[in-house]
Amino acid sequence: MGGILLALALAFYLLATATFSGHVVTGRDAFRRTALALLACAFGLHASSLAVRAVMLGYDAITTFQDELSFVACLMVGLYLLIALRANLTIVGALVTPLAFLFTLSSYALNAPSAALAPSLQNIWLPAHVAPAFLGYAVFAIAFCLSLLYLVQEKQLKAKRKGDLFRRLPSLEALDNLNHQFVTWGFVLFTMGVLTGSLLAKQEWGELWSWEPVQVCSAVTWLLYAVLLHARSVGWRGRKAAALTIVGFAVLVASFLSVNLVFPGKHGGTFG
Amino acid sequence: MQREILIVGVNHRSAPVEIREQLTFSDSLYDQTLRQLPTLPAIDEGVIVSTCNRVELVAATMEGDCALETLTGLLAGHASLSQHQLSDHLSVYRGREAVRHLFRIAASLDSMVVGEPQILGQLKDCYARAAALGSAGTVLHRCFHKSFSVAKRVRTETGVATRAVSVSAAAVELACKIFDHLEDKTAMLIGAGTMSELAARHLLAQGIHGIIVTNRTFDRAVDLARDFHGMPVPFEDFPRFLHIADVIIGSTAADTYVLTPAVVHQVLRERKYRPLFLIDMSVPRNFDPSINDIDNVYLYDIDDLGGVAEVNREERSREAQKAETIIEEEVDTFWKWLTSLDAVPTIVALRDKVEGIRKAELEKTLASLRDLSPDARAALEAMTAAIANKILHAPLTHLKQHDRQREAFYLAAARQLFDIEDEEPDDQ
Repeated sequence: MGGILLALALAFYLLATATFSGHVVTGRDAFRRTALALLACAFGLHASSLAVRAVMLGYDAITTFQDELSFVACLMVGLYLLIALRANLTIVGALVTPLAFLFTLSSYALNAPSAALAPSLQNIWLPAHVAPAFLGYAVFAIAFCLSLLYLVQEKQLKAKRKGDLFRRLPSLEALDNLNHQFVTWGFVLFTMGVLTGSLLAKQEWGELWSWEPVQVCSAVTWLLYAVLLHARSVGWRGRKAAALTIVGFAVLVASFLSVNLVFPGKHGGTFG
Repeated sequence: MQREILIVGVNHRSAPVEIREQLTFSDSLYDQTLRQLPTLPAIDEGVIVSTCNRVELVAATMEGDCALETLTGLLAGHASLSQHQLSDHLSVYRGREAVRHLFRIAASLDSMVVGEPQILGQLKDCYARAAALGSAGTVLHRCFHKSFSVAKRVRTETGVATRAVSVSAAAVELACKIFDHLEDKTAMLIGAGTMSELAARHLLAQGIHGIIVTNRTFDRAVDLARDFHGMPVPFEDFPRFLHIADVIIGSTAADTYVLTPAVVHQVLRERKYRPLFLIDMSVPRNFDPSINDIDNVYLYDIDDLGGVAEVNREERSREAQKAETIIEEEVDTFWKWLTSLDAVPTIVALRDKVEGIRKAELEKTLASLRDLSPDARAALEAMTAAIANKILHAPLTHLKQHDRQREAFYLAAARQLFDIEDEEPDDQ
């Protein structure tokens, strides 16, 4: 059941990606509206598939790498749909949608059996750790998309090229402000995830900090975003802030992949 | 009783924005008022021209004085102002003046930014709504269509501000891609050239918050600042104000750079690296081009904006003069048509026309029938006269009898069907 819903969601992500591309190329409003509708459908299907899974598996719903990918993708699309309601930020969807498609596709293709979770972890602290951490990733992913668009738009303004894409992209100020907001919220959520994770580690492994691969990677990522936010407060905005957001996200993805695929450690092969 | 066109309302020259806002019609009220217009005393037809710079009621009437009272009352009631309060800000155009005013609006000669192209579209929308609701009739149909073709002529036959307008429009478009909204932004004009003035007007029209003007001749800065409700600053002092400005437009005659990268770096630090948009309108350039390499600063010169160096004042005024001449010609043509829309001359002309045809044809026939008796000639004469009269009877009765709102329609139709007068063909 959940698998069918997820497959359908994938199909809708693909359609939405194609329609968003149509909007980017032609600028036609019909494409924009259709793409948003398709994406909303995809989100509905995706969220339902996750809900079905949660009902069936309970605490075991998010235990593997592919569960995480799918969960983050769904959160990301949900967040995007929220901002797309606001003003002319539809174009961000042209990046978010293929990214979500890619995540969901990887998740679907991996299709490993869900792992069983240690009974000692099956308590309220687990969702308290997982929810903010993953929401944080999704928020950082959107900030990453906003930063990419910022760099594209900035380059066009500096090079004095006023093509069609230039007209369709939002203003630098809007992208930069939104990026700042997203990084701030992402940082707050990520911090909460790290703190609750430490508490969980204390309870599970007996110590708050044990130099686990996942802890080291999280610390590096956290530090990077902390530096970015500090730099912003002293006037690092625009291009540099966007570039740093992209680096931050690259480190996040690298940590995510390495912890899951290369150094599982005792966190159980998941970065979250 | 003279058929005329009347325009009553407020525009950017007659009234401040606070008054204009009060007079703006909401969407539903707009339609309701449109429907109501032709039913009001003395008003035969009506269109509401409503844009961000004007709210003007255009009416066709036979009783100008009475119609003026009706429209003024309508506006005062709508804005909840007393007629006295409103009258200070009201602009009234009657007769030929009104026709000229409408044509000038369409041709964008009455715009805040002369030559800006959006006004024609707005005017067409206003007219289309009135036409759809049936509040515009024969006279206003003709008048508005004429105004559209006048606008086209002015656009194609003269160069009224077109180049300057496209440069300013490009500058505004860029500003809107750098800044999310202009309402909290400030622009600074260094030097008071025509192009920079025009760009400032465009930015103001887009809602920019404030304008600072500096100029070597301080008086000129004061004049311009007053015009923009802005702040004049002595030329020696302008660097102290640079950090307030988000958009800086340069158009001085200086042959050295007024802004250098070092100054801009300093300014950026003071404004915490918020983005800065610099527009260099002058040749030789006022701003060092290498400023564009600084982060968060976007420098565009006149070439980048797709323009050519400032069109000189003389040329601009010559083009404007050409446009006014076109408008005067067109007002003449329209006015001739409008005044011809009267029952008596139309009936006389119609009779003359038919009588002329009858006489000519009769003569031709009689010329080929030489051996006709005088009686037979008289009979032919009587018969053709009777045919002519019978054919004319019904149309003439209509022309004499119809109520006023339909009268213009029948008169215009009769003149066109019978090809009376040698007016120029309708270009719509």
